[in-house]
Amino acid sequence: MRTERAATLRVQNLSKRYGSGETAVQAVKGVSLEVSPGEIVLIMGPSGSGKTTLLSMLGALLRPTEGRIELDGLVLSELSEGRLPDIRLRHFGFVFQDFNLLSALSALDNVAIVAELAGLGRKAARARARALLEELGLGARLHFLPEQLSGGEKQRVAIARALVNEPALLLADEPTANLDSHHGHETMRLLRRIAKEQGKSVLIVSHDARIQDIADRVLWLEDGEFKEMRSLATDPVCGMTVEREKAVSAQWEGKSYYFCCRGCREEFLAGPQRFGKATT
Amino acid sequence: MYVALHNLLHDRLRFALNVLGVALAVMLVLFLLGLEQGLRLQVTAYLRQAPGSIAVTQAGVDSFGGGSSLLPPGLEEDLRQVPGVAKVVPVLTQTAIFDLHDKKIFAFLIGYDPALGGGPWRIGEGREPRERGEVVFDRVLARLHGVRVGDTVEVQGQKFPVVGLSEGTASWMTALVFVRKADLESYLLTPGLSSLALVTPAPGVAPEALRARLKGLPGVEVWLKSELIESDLRLYQAFFKPVRLMSLIAFLVGTLVVGLVIYSATVERQREYGVLKALGARNARLYGLVLAQALAVAALGSLSGILLGFAAARLVLALRPQILVALEPGVVGLTLLTGLFMALLAAWLPARLVAGLAPAEVFRR
Ligand SMILES: Nc1ncnc2c1ncn2[C@@H]1O[C@H](COP(=O)(O)OP(=O)(O)O)[C@@H](O)[C@H]1O
Ligand SMILES: [Mg+2]
Repeated sequence: MRTERAATLRVQNLSKRYGSGETAVQAVKGVSLEVSPGEIVLIMGPSGSGKTTLLSMLGALLRPTEGRIELDGLVLSELSEGRLPDIRLRHFGFVFQDFNLLSALSALDNVAIVAELAGLGRKAARARARALLEELGLGARLHFLPEQLSGGEKQRVAIARALVNEPALLLADEPTANLDSHHGHETMRLLRRIAKEQGKSVLIVSHDARIQDIADRVLWLEDGEFKEMRSLATDPVCGMTVEREKAVSAQWEGKSYYFCCRGCREEFLAGPQRFGKATT
Repeated sequence: MYVALHNLLHDRLRFALNVLGVALAVMLVLFLLGLEQGLRLQVTAYLRQAPGSIAVTQAGVDSFGGGSSLLPPGLEEDLRQVPGVAKVVPVLTQTAIFDLHDKKIFAFLIGYDPALGGGPWRIGEGREPRERGEVVFDRVLARLHGVRVGDTVEVQGQKFPVVGLSEGTASWMTALVFVRKADLESYLLTPGLSSLALVTPAPGVAPEALRARLKGLPGVEVWLKSELIESDLRLYQAFFKPVRLMSLIAFLVGTLVVGLVIYSATVERQREYGVLKALGARNARLYGLVLAQALAVAALGSLSGILLGFAAARLVLALRPQILVALEPGVVGLTLLTGLFMALLAAWLPARLVAGLAPAEVFRR
């Protein structure tokens, strides 16, 4: 039986400034946010808008310059440096864009080692890892090295690893960016199932608009601040998320298409039937 | 710690090369330490085996093997008169050049009185000298130059029949050759002359106490035998230094090999260490991982290096029997410690690298 651990994440007025003086970069500016148990929040925004910085602070990987992060009554932003590794280990599950599995370890050991770090014996850790991987449909891949797994499988191993210490909160940075759309969707459905079945909060950062539909809430981060959600479109050529107001557009068969740049538009117009199936 | 092992074994060829590198360095360290120990043993062999616990030399002489010491005439009788002296063994020493067929060989002649002692302690073949001019030759020296019991060797035209071959008396410098003291005296035309007197205290008399009593004798230096051995070793310090320097270099090379290996392996997996850190592994854990890899390389390398060292010592024994490579347990132990130290030193820099990783970097590509 899995214990149902859930928590409310409360963030107040969070800021992060990199560097100082003339070269200082204000990456996140006074962001406030609350995520409830079982909720899936998607943070979108253009590249460089501060998404990763924000996520790193929420995951106790990076100290905020200002502001307060509270997880279930525990004020992370006030904890000493020495306590943070343990918090990360037990309270957060991380999922990365490029999976970040340990290349020398099998799928099973990749998951088990994180349970061992949290103090579980080797046997118990492996048993738990095995159960999780089987649950995620990787029962036949337990002893494969990461290099022998497909992208979707790797991300499922990474998700199993994120879950193995039963964290309250999953944090995912661009979890679908290295996956094709089929596996991207599969991964997102898996994250949703986990959130709903186990009451875990899931915070996803992405600029992939295709995953909006599985989120309970979508936030738009721009220049380090939450802004009103823009109407977005996907560039049918390069797949980037673009804002309709700012994008270059074209008409084809009575529909509007939006592009990140003129180059993509020209490529589209040179043979629209190649891209025409794409959604706007 | 299986992560460490998996990391290491992931690239087997590199792992094998590393172990080989360490093994060669450790072999060199072991060999050189053994060589130094062998030199020490050879240099001090006579004094260690000689009877008595006190040695008397001419005043101002501070070694047995180095300078020529001449004791005042009648000293032995004086020594015997001192209460607490049980036995006095006089010996006369002289370096000599033997003519063997066409070759000339250098040896250290020890003239002793077979009735009193101070001669060869282990005779491998033949017997001690009994008649005029008979000598006992060092067995290794004899083998190297084809000298056999029954042969006659010459020193400046005088003939010395070889009646025995002694063991444990070889040396990389001058092997020992034993002759009756009276014969050496007459050869040197110095009747009654001695270089060294070895004194055995009477039962119940401490060597230190007896030495204090003997100190008043004029014209002589009174040593505890162990002190004279130490003093002899200091004399040969100049020979040990290069050997020691070479061991140090071998050690440094070995450390560098393990260090580079572990460092490059760590740099290569920098991101993975960062991932572990981001997931919540503490620095201590990561140090452990790095150290475990260094130790594994060093341990395997050390063990193979020690085996290689023993093989090298055997080879030397076969090719140059006058050179003793003494791989005593102490030397092997020291070498193992050296290997361990290599690992610790080698792990230091990579550990610093890992400590400096910022966990948030895992989100960057
Ligand atoms: N370690 C850092 N040092 C200095 N500036 C940084 C650092 N990390 C990110 N930045 C800057 O902060 C801003 C936000 O970056 P990031 O959080 O990575 O945005 P996103 O994930 O939305 O692309 C960018 O301008 C980036 O250049
Ligand atoms: Mg980012």
